[in-house]
Amino acid sequence: MDPITAMYVAQGIHGLAYGMVLFLIASGLNVIFGMMGVLNLAHASFFMLSAYLGFQFVSLTGNFWMALLLAPVATAVCGVLMERFLLRKVHAFGHMGELILTLGVAQIVLAGVKSLWGSESLPLKMPPILEGQVAWAGLNYPIYRLFIIGLALVVMAIMGMLLYKTRLGKIVRAAVSDAGMVNALGINIPLVFTLVFGIGIWMAGIAGVAIAPILTVFPGLADQVGMDAFIVVVTGGFGSLAGAFIISIIFGLLSSYGVQFVSQLAPVLIVGFMAIVLAIRPHGLFGAREG
Amino acid sequence: MRFALRGIFILGCILSLLFSTAYAQAPAKAAFDFKSMGDMSDFDPANPIIPTGDTIKIAVVASFSGPAALVGQIYFASVQWAAHDINKRGGIMVDGKKKLIEVIKADHMSKPDQTKKIVERMVLQEKVHVLWGTDGSNLQKIINETANKYKVISINTASLSDELQDATNFSRYAFQSSMSSDQLSRGLAYYYGKIKKKEKKFYILCQDYLFGHGLADSFKKGLMEYYPDAQIVGEDYHKLFLTDFAPYLEKIKASGAEVIFTGDWIPDAANLLKQARQMGITLPFANIFLDEPNMLHQVGVEGTKGLVHISQFGSENPAFKTPEQIKYYRTWNDLWKNKWKTEPFNGRLFEHPAGNIGSYIEQTYWLLNVIARAQSTDPEKIIKVWEGDSYRYTNGKVISMRACDHKAVQDLHIEEYAPPDQQKQSFNIPPYYWFAGTSNTGPIFAIPAKSVLPLMDQNLDRCKGKSAAGD
Repeated sequence: MDPITAMYVAQGIHGLAYGMVLFLIASGLNVIFGMMGVLNLAHASFFMLSAYLGFQFVSLTGNFWMALLLAPVATAVCGVLMERFLLRKVHAFGHMGELILTLGVAQIVLAGVKSLWGSESLPLKMPPILEGQVAWAGLNYPIYRLFIIGLALVVMAIMGMLLYKTRLGKIVRAAVSDAGMVNALGINIPLVFTLVFGIGIWMAGIAGVAIAPILTVFPGLADQVGMDAFIVVVTGGFGSLAGAFIISIIFGLLSSYGVQFVSQLAPVLIVGFMAIVLAIRPHGLFGAREG
Repeated sequence: MRFALRGIFILGCILSLLFSTAYAQAPAKAAFDFKSMGDMSDFDPANPIIPTGDTIKIAVVASFSGPAALVGQIYFASVQWAAHDINKRGGIMVDGKKKLIEVIKADHMSKPDQTKKIVERMVLQEKVHVLWGTDGSNLQKIINETANKYKVISINTASLSDELQDATNFSRYAFQSSMSSDQLSRGLAYYYGKIKKKEKKFYILCQDYLFGHGLADSFKKGLMEYYPDAQIVGEDYHKLFLTDFAPYLEKIKASGAEVIFTGDWIPDAANLLKQARQMGITLPFANIFLDEPNMLHQVGVEGTKGLVHISQFGSENPAFKTPEQIKYYRTWNDLWKNKWKTEPFNGRLFEHPAGNIGSYIEQTYWLLNVIARAQSTDPEKIIKVWEGDSYRYTNGKVISMRACDHKAVQDLHIEEYAPPDQQKQSFNIPPYYWFAGTSNTGPIFAIPAKSVLPLMDQNLDRCKGKSAAGD
């Protein structure tokens, strides 16, 4: 592969890697909205919390894998507690209460991480086995970024299995379609809600730990990716996992090839794409029209 | 015995002579006075001793909340250090009375409307004598405008825009003791063209807003002036708070660049450096903000080796030139080690009174020294002393204030980052390195003030017909 071709191929993989991370965050946000109708403004904050917890686990145990396993679970537990004891209480009173509540939780998480870990940027080191680069046909590519793509695919596979091959998945999909009807059939919908909320936060948590070795763990982390995740959800269509996946990948590829070919316009390409999609399909690329 | 004493005396004389010749200092109208320095053992930025009553009031206008809250803490610790020292010396004689320095935190939350509100409150309610700022030229502009409106002194120690003191924005009450973006970019160009004379291919990667573009334009201008053979092989501007730098780095890798010029600040600076090293890009970064020690530790010794940083605090090597300066340094460093137990002041960011912290401290000492010589808090008297003034920092560096547009004229210094075992040339006292876990200042090169004079707007009536040096 000549250097120019190698560059184009590498840009494609960069786009894929960032798209996959976005998908992990956005899909959780999407499932929660699709099923529960809750626009969780604290979602990116949980992503950040998981990165901090990952840092803490690595500091205590020195083991990245342990952090990757435990931090998202611990974050999901926080999410479940929030859903069970806060969100459920305001759910009956409509979206405004939920928005304000989740915004409040986002502020609490921000204040919490600052008081526990301070404002300085913290390091989360990648495991030595994932350091360095892999050389293939004239292309040198960081192993860790390939690992992120692989990890996201594994999480996607788990989610796919869960949603399409299990009874729970059937219930969730049915609830996304019509929660009231599923409830009438005797399914404990509040429990399913809690579970889905936990899984959504867990996915964001995995993204948080996975991306931390590339980024800086600091209190602005949530703002950094939160907006991108929302763009993905809105453009892909609320409630649509397939939409979130496709838009995440398009988002990633537009970012990298945009920088390559029309650098100055790269950020505009993404919002421009969003604007066009929403102008043609106001409910998002794969979103279902309400009513 | 008598011979031995005589021998020691002669040796002492020779050493003193050597010191005085080796470190001959540039003349200055005033200098930091080591001898009357107070007992600083009770200084703790987390538990500051702040006098009240009939005091000289300084409002530190900065972010004390939100994502940039740490910046406010850095400023506060620096200003409070200088204030505490002066208070321990008994204060400053102004208007016939000895007064202590009172430092007040004014949180602008990084928002223009809040800046306007808090600065007006500081002036009208708290009756501060000095507004001390800040991170962000847009916010500093508001501070200066307010200072102008209410005739209060404003000192800009951290905002780098040249436009703050141009014909449109100039205020008699505002002083820019900080270097400017144009100076630092031209300083880096001067280093590559006149000192290093090795790398020729540069890639510019800056943040996509006024500051980033301004830096890049000045760097290009500096290369044309000092390094006509240099080549810009690529130029990109990325959005603020970017997550993934890989697409830009991939282009840089393919461009054949030998140096990456960046004006990025944290978190972008940290992510850029980290991701570049992860991608196997070992090129040096010519930079202004890649000096935050926590970020450098994340990247480690190898990844930070060869970074080229321009500083407004530096001086020629070695860093410690006199016993008084060493004692001064130890006072801060010992307190950091033994007394400061609260976040963020116990972190490695606060380990040395050097770099940005050193610069903010020295600029504050200069301000207080000017007030002391004006013998008044009357802004008109302060202006009279400060215009055309010059002052020597603790490290021997001399800074002066160009009278016509209130911009600081000073040598700048290029610091080449070297591994800990090569930092002794700079950090010449035990443990002989700045940081054990990262590359840091090794070789230092002075950029003479006359080669990096701050821009002067000839449309400003006060500067018409003046030379660039302000004569």
